[in-house]
Amino acid sequence: MKKYLLPISLMALSVSTAVNADVRINGFANFTAGMTTDESGLYGYDDSVDFSNGSLFALQISGDVNENVTATAQIVARGAENYEAEFEWAYLTYAINDTSSISAGRLRTPVFRYSSSLDVGYSYHWITAPRSVYNVPFNNFNGVRYDYSSYLGDWEVAFQLSLGEYNESVSGGSVEADELINLSLETTYESFKARIVAGRANNSFSQVLVDGAIANLAPLAPGLADDLALVDDQGVFLGLGLEYDNFDWFVSGELTSVETEDSFSPEDIAWYVTAGMRLGKWTPHLTYETRDGNQDFKFLDQVAAFPPEFQPGLMQAVAGLQGFFMEEFSMITVGLRYDFDTNVALKAEVSRYDNKIDNPADINTAEDTTLINISVNYVF
Amino acid sequence: MLKTFKVTMASAMLCLSAFSYSQVVVVVNPANDASIDAKTVQRIFLGKEKKFSNGNAAIPINQTADNSVRAQFDESIVGRSSSQVSAYWSKLVFTGKGVPPEELSGDAAVIEAIANNPNAIGYVDAASVTDAVKTIPVN
Repeated sequence: MKKYLLPISLMALSVSTAVNADVRINGFANFTAGMTTDESGLYGYDDSVDFSNGSLFALQISGDVNENVTATAQIVARGAENYEAEFEWAYLTYAINDTSSISAGRLRTPVFRYSSSLDVGYSYHWITAPRSVYNVPFNNFNGVRYDYSSYLGDWEVAFQLSLGEYNESVSGGSVEADELINLSLETTYESFKARIVAGRANNSFSQVLVDGAIANLAPLAPGLADDLALVDDQGVFLGLGLEYDNFDWFVSGELTSVETEDSFSPEDIAWYVTAGMRLGKWTPHLTYETRDGNQDFKFLDQVAAFPPEFQPGLMQAVAGLQGFFMEEFSMITVGLRYDFDTNVALKAEVSRYDNKIDNPADINTAEDTTLINISVNYVF
Repeated sequence: MLKTFKVTMASAMLCLSAFSYSQVVVVVNPANDASIDAKTVQRIFLGKEKKFSNGNAAIPINQTADNSVRAQFDESIVGRSSSQVSAYWSKLVFTGKGVPPEELSGDAAVIEAIANNPNAIGYVDAASVTDAVKTIPVN
């Protein structure tokens, strides 16, 4: 945190010295408390009240470099990471005309309906956007994004093309992806909104246990080890979103698929459906979400091609590695949002988590439990 | 007695609702010859339209949230509560996709700004309108 104080105060200084330069400072904060009803815990919460896991504080500084170019930096300090401030985004945007712009730098990948404002709790009804869909390692990327938005009669059309790479920590290891191409198309007509998205990247995943298992397999079955390994393999992402929101009530959902076919990683299919009503300052809502990454084992035909005496050992390695990453769960959330002011919302949620596979070795899934959260969301 | 009271209440409420509906009016600079309807105003104030029909840049001028005319404008013309409008803008601001309209406090400040800028568009209480601005019928 400390090391960012200097740049921030320098920026503040330049704001006050260059009075005419159009520099905007905005921010947002989420203060979230949560606990689970069981010791086993969920998403970083356990059976004692926690105030940091879902809390964050962010500052955004943007300034017009000239008539067409804007510089934006967003610094986020997350409670889950001891409030260490990090540059979430830092990019330059060149406005080509009223409908098109190009941004370059570290950006949010426009994958989901709420991706762009995922950290801004104030911008949606939940305390946390459905994790089964939104917990992916490619929320931010480094590269270039082209944005187009316009009207075709009464149809509002938005198109985004992203090119770049990303590196993130996930599942106790790290993902490196390059040659990312992501396309999204969103159209709005009165109360209806539809969205489709498709993306691909060359992924590599490294984690101590996985790397060890594959290294052990390689001398005996090099082809199989290569197939299992997630090294420079193409990952494909597909998504569909639909929404009806007439401002008195809304219902929406998203369906996504993430797959790296030529690897141990199972295909993940995730979706959610949410609905709510706006009764003055109150928004009661209900959400069902699920992720199914519990698929048939891949590469069993290759195991079958080995002499019978090798098969049990190979089978154990192949199934064990894939099973380790399989998950299947659902969650139902009942929540209430209260608009305290035009920049402050208070929220409460109760979620029931249901783990559908019983695999004690699984690092991704938790025991069935109930998660209770309350939150204050603020924008300024 | 009770009946009379009810009728009085009902007619009072009727007057009140008719009054509050017509209270907020959209105003532009007298030199602005663009054709403007409710949909145009909504798009301009949501940052979805950046120009008037005559090709000139549109500069929306909002009122601060403590002015009651703001809530009326948001509900009757933008079609959402002020909190929803603010949530909408928070999405655009924190993705670098938009800058919300400048906010001024009070009808007099809005009228002055619009009188001085041929591209500005705002809204005020009908009772505050002066010759310095042109009223746009959108309801």
